[in-house]
Parts: sequence; structure tokens; C-alpha cells
Amino acid sequence: MKTTYKILTGAMTILVMGLTITACSSSKNAYVNADTDDFKIEKSGAQYWGETCNRCHLAPSPADYNDTDWGTISLHMRIRANLTAMEINKIETFLKSAN
Amino acid sequence: MKKLIILITIVGFCHITYGQTYNNFETDSITESQPYKPSKTQFMIRGYGHTGLNFMNAEGEKESSYVGSAFAPIFLFKHSDRLMFEAELEFVLENNELEVGLEYADVMYILNKNMTVRAGKFLLPFGTFMERLHPAWINRLPTRPLGFGHDGIAPASGIGVELRGAFDLGGPSLNYSVYSTNGPRLKDGSEEPEEAGMLMFQNFEDNNTSKAFGGRIGLLPFADSSTEIGFSTYSTSKVGATDSEYENTGAFLYAIDFAFIKQIPAISGFIDIKGQYNNSDIDDATFTETHEDGDEEEYTFDNKSNSFYAQLSYRPTMASSDFLKKLELVGRYSNLNTPEGAEWEEQSDQYAFGLNYWLTWRSVIKIAYQTTDSVGGHDGGGTANGFFVHWAIGF
Repeated sequence: MKTTYKILTGAMTILVMGLTITACSSSKNAYVNADTDDFKIEKSGAQYWGETCNRCHLAPSPADYNDTDWGTISLHMRIRANLTAMEINKIETFLKSAN
Repeated sequence: MKKLIILITIVGFCHITYGQTYNNFETDSITESQPYKPSKTQFMIRGYGHTGLNFMNAEGEKESSYVGSAFAPIFLFKHSDRLMFEAELEFVLENNELEVGLEYADVMYILNKNMTVRAGKFLLPFGTFMERLHPAWINRLPTRPLGFGHDGIAPASGIGVELRGAFDLGGPSLNYSVYSTNGPRLKDGSEEPEEAGMLMFQNFEDNNTSKAFGGRIGLLPFADSSTEIGFSTYSTSKVGATDSEYENTGAFLYAIDFAFIKQIPAISGFIDIKGQYNNSDIDDATFTETHEDGDEEEYTFDNKSNSFYAQLSYRPTMASSDFLKKLELVGRYSNLNTPEGAEWEEQSDQYAFGLNYWLTWRSVIKIAYQTTDSVGGHDGGGTANGFFVHWAIGF
């Protein structure tokens, strides 16, 4: 195997390992002095549904499945499309509210 | 006889006596119905199917046939909010035979919000086409790009273990995957001489002790998730069988993928741009060719291949007409180059254009025209034109 390719593969592995360690780490001050008055603008589940669910196929109709079905489909699609936890949670909540 | 009659009478009397029930209206009116509680586990069947009609014209040889009847059920069993089993079967009528395949079957467990582990046979995230876009109801055209697919130059699925997840970067997001699978097998030409040097990615039992390692990183740089850029790698140090002359032949593959999907009011609809480039580099090896007179000749070649596709589609979702809203125009260019000097040497360019009508979000009628110019290849090259009418449905 070419040396360059080994280096490239190794670098990619190290990068992913770094991301993994970062994801598993916790911050000591994460829950201290949290200012509950901070206002954050976040996208709604409907926005995520319109933007994210269109990336591969057409956005699904919320009325096509019931709440239990959407829970299963959301878990499946979280893996298949590699969605973030926030994206899939908001989309699932929206779909259940709109069916 | 008298004893039997007496016995039947006694049994009947006792049945009537103890079988009598009394309505207790007071109790019935007080009891409240219990609320419905959905199950935490669920078994679900999804999937897709398609069929169609193909007209082919290759160097003057015309062919017309109803083809492509396929059925691919997907089984999902949700054990909990973190644990799921998924599997997909594929039934295809092809070459007058029913072909049955297991597309994937794996178990996945969510470790935390950024990490999920998966094990079994799963679709490999080498680029995005085979993992996300290949199902007939998602693929905008009836055919696949050159070099993409189960017989292409890139892996589609593998048996192994994978770690994947995604990060929210406060607007942008990043997703990753790292996996290890049984490595591909190198075709040495002993069974199919015309395919010597090709990789066979369907390797259910590893033919050596070396495993393949791969991964993909995808970046969505904008908050609206309209754009995604991905880079994938897949490599192994051994593709030949243990103790064979090809044992230490290695392979390194990489892919770059791109996607842009956005609704643009100025053009009254959605624009969808997708593309992927695959590159395959296999260590050089020596193969044997047997001539008609029985003589054997050794040969070698620089075993490098690449394939590429770019696709553009447009849906007028903001049109005033309901009919126009369901239409989609799509065009695709793909290219395949395989090693010079190989029995499977090929340089091909393909253009495909299609018009789709979406009955629902998961049912589509596709009409497409495709032209392919090839030099080399199994068929010897030339120009092949095709006209397709397909109907695909997801469920």
C-alpha cells in the first residue's frame, strides 16, 4: 500500500478518534452559571423537515404514518442519513404533531 | 341408556346454573377505560419496488422488453429508543431468473447523541450514491451512473462493524463514519479470465487475515443544510487469498461527493445538484492469459480506475399548476475509466436525460433517454442508446 495513502488513512483515523474523544468528554463548568434568560433562535421541526428530509428524497407526508411508526422511522433515518440528535428529535416531534 | 340420559341432564343443568351471568350496572358505569399505551418496541416493514419498459439500441441491435420488476422489503425492529435491527432483501427478475439478495442486515445501538455503533452487513458510506441514493424510488433516473453499483469499482456494502455519528456545530454540521469490514477479493482470472485484476467487494468470508478499513467525513457548512461535501476512503493491505501469489496485493480507494439542494424562489422551485468521484488504486500484479493454442502469457498493468457522475434536477414546486408542481427535469453525466492493458479495459461516457412525474412523495413515473459511448469493455465498445419508462414506489 502506498505510503501516502497510509498517512492519509492514519490522519483520518486520528481525526475521527479526536472527534470521538471530544464527544465523550464533559465540561466541569457546563452546568454552572447558566443564564436562563439567554434567548436563542433555533429552527423549528418544520424547518428541519423541509430542509433535511429533502436532501435525498422528497420530504415525506406527516399524515402517512402514526406516532409509533414515526418513532421507528426516525431512528432508522437518523442512522441512514447520519443526522444530528437535535435534527432528528425536532423532526420527529414535528411529524408526530402534524399527522 | 338411562344412565347416559341422566348424566347428560345433570351436565346440562350444571352448565346452565354456573354459566349464568348478571349485569352489574353500577360497577360498569363507574369503571373508566384505560388510556392507550403504545408499545415501546415495534416491528415495521418498509421498502420499495419498481418495474418498467426498456428500449435499447446498441450498434443497430434493437431490444425491447418489460424489465426491472423488483421488490425490496425493508424490515425494521425497534427494540428501544437506542437499539434497532434493520434488514433489506432484494428480489429481482433478471435474465429470466429470480435473483434474491440480502442488501443489508445489521444491529445498531446509539451510544450517545454523537455516536452510534453498528454491526453486521451494512451499506458502506463510500460516497453517498450507494448508501443513500440508489433505491429506485429515490434515484432520479432509471439507471445508475457508470461505475456505480454492485459490480462497480467502489464498494457498496460490507460485513463488519462501524462507528458513526454527527455533530451540530451551531448551524453547520459534521457527520462521520469509521468502519472495518472483510476486505475485497482480487479476481485472479482463474475463474473469469476477462476480469483478472478486478476487486470483488461481495466478500462474505474473508480470504485472508487482513481487514479493510474505511470512513467518511461529511461537512454541511451552511445552516440550511443545503450543501454537503464528503470525503471517503477505503483501504486494505491484502486482497489476495492467503498463501497465494497475490496475498500481499493492497488496495486504496477514495471518493469525493457533493450535494446541493435548495428551493430558489427566483426559479420557482427546487434545484438539486449531486456528484461523486471515485478512484481506485490496486497494487500491480501479474496475471496469466491463456491463448487459443494453449500457450500461456503473463501480463501486468497499472491497476487504476476512476468513475464520476454529476447530476442536476429541477422541480417547479412553486408553479401555479398542480400538474407542473409534480414534474421534475433531470440530467446526468457519468464517466468510467478502467486500467489500460486490462482485459476489462474501458473508457465510457454516458449522458442521461429524464422527465419525472411524482404521483406522491414516494411514487414516481420516470421517462428517460440515455446514450453511452464506450471504447473497450466486455461488449467491445460502441454507442448504445436507451429509452426507459419506469414506475417506482416506496412504502
